Amino acid sequence: MLQPADTTVALFDTTAAQAVTVQRAEGIERPMLAEDKLPVVLAVVLVVWFGVLFLLFRTDRRLARLERRLDADEPR
Amino acid sequence: MDRDLALPHYGLAYRLFGVIVAVWITVVLVLGILGPISNLPILEHTARNLYFHVPMWFVLYAGAIAGAWHAGRYLATGRAVHDVRSEAAWTVSTAAGLIALVTGVIWSRFTWYQGTGLWWSPEPRQNMVAVQLLISGAYFVLRGQLDRPRQRARLSAVYALFATATMPFLTYVLPRRMQSLHPGAEGNPAFSQMDIAPQMRWVFYAAAVGFLALGWWLYTQRVRARVAELRVEDAEADAPAPAAVVS
Repeated sequence: MLQPADTTVALFDTTAAQAVTVQRAEGIERPMLAEDKLPVVLAVVLVVWFGVLFLLFRTDRRLARLERRLDADEPR
Repeated sequence: MDRDLALPHYGLAYRLFGVIVAVWITVVLVLGILGPISNLPILEHTARNLYFHVPMWFVLYAGAIAGAWHAGRYLATGRAVHDVRSEAAWTVSTAAGLIALVTGVIWSRFTWYQGTGLWWSPEPRQNMVAVQLLISGAYFVLRGQLDRPRQRARLSAVYALFATATMPFLTYVLPRRMQSLHPGAEGNPAFSQMDIAPQMRWVFYAAAVGFLALGWWLYTQRVRARVAELRVEDAEADAPAPAAVVS
């Protein structure tokens, strides 16, 4: 199964060192840290995906605008 | 000229289709990353890559078939729109193929080849796809070298037809006869278990449909952009821009 990680961040950030081992999951952390932390993967993937979608829809709108202008200047 | 670059009107239905694709793939992502999977040794959660790696193959094939189809139509009719469509399809196909190759390398490196340090494995299908992508990539080199539009369109159409003809042999027939990580070949029953596992099957089908639809959307955007470019060029050729004012 998943290997334990080297928590080297504990060396320079004492807050982080404590957080990993001491505090119980509260609020949004409870669902995100369940299921092998896959919800964190999903969150990252969705951010990337929504960025791509934004570009896709923007390109669509610009193309439509361009086509409308071309049709007006020179009807097919 | 009118029929030469004629495109269907991409209006409301098209925009609605875009929204449906967006929602569809978002759902696939959520189900794919959070949904239940078969419990497979070595693969573990990477089994989820099934939903993303394999659909890229489908886009590769669909794009190549569309590219070859429009190449054939161009040779038959001479209409520029078929050359535009053939090139756009080929672009989407080759891009998907590259993504399939890279994701396959990453997937195998940390599962089957974990601990070996091997990035490029002797996996037959991977090597055959690399060869096929070289053949597909040469299409763009060919296009880049030819300046005259009609000649460029004709030669690249012929090339596309040949390049698509090699695809089933290189990527399907040959690897099946060799020992391979991929399902259906000698040597890996674990993958077929994953393919037919009910909890994964439906998400996989949805992912395949979703990414094919996304590929089609990207393809149509490229076609529209290229046709708009050509129409602007034609309009400028008909009415040359006025000379700069000298005073």
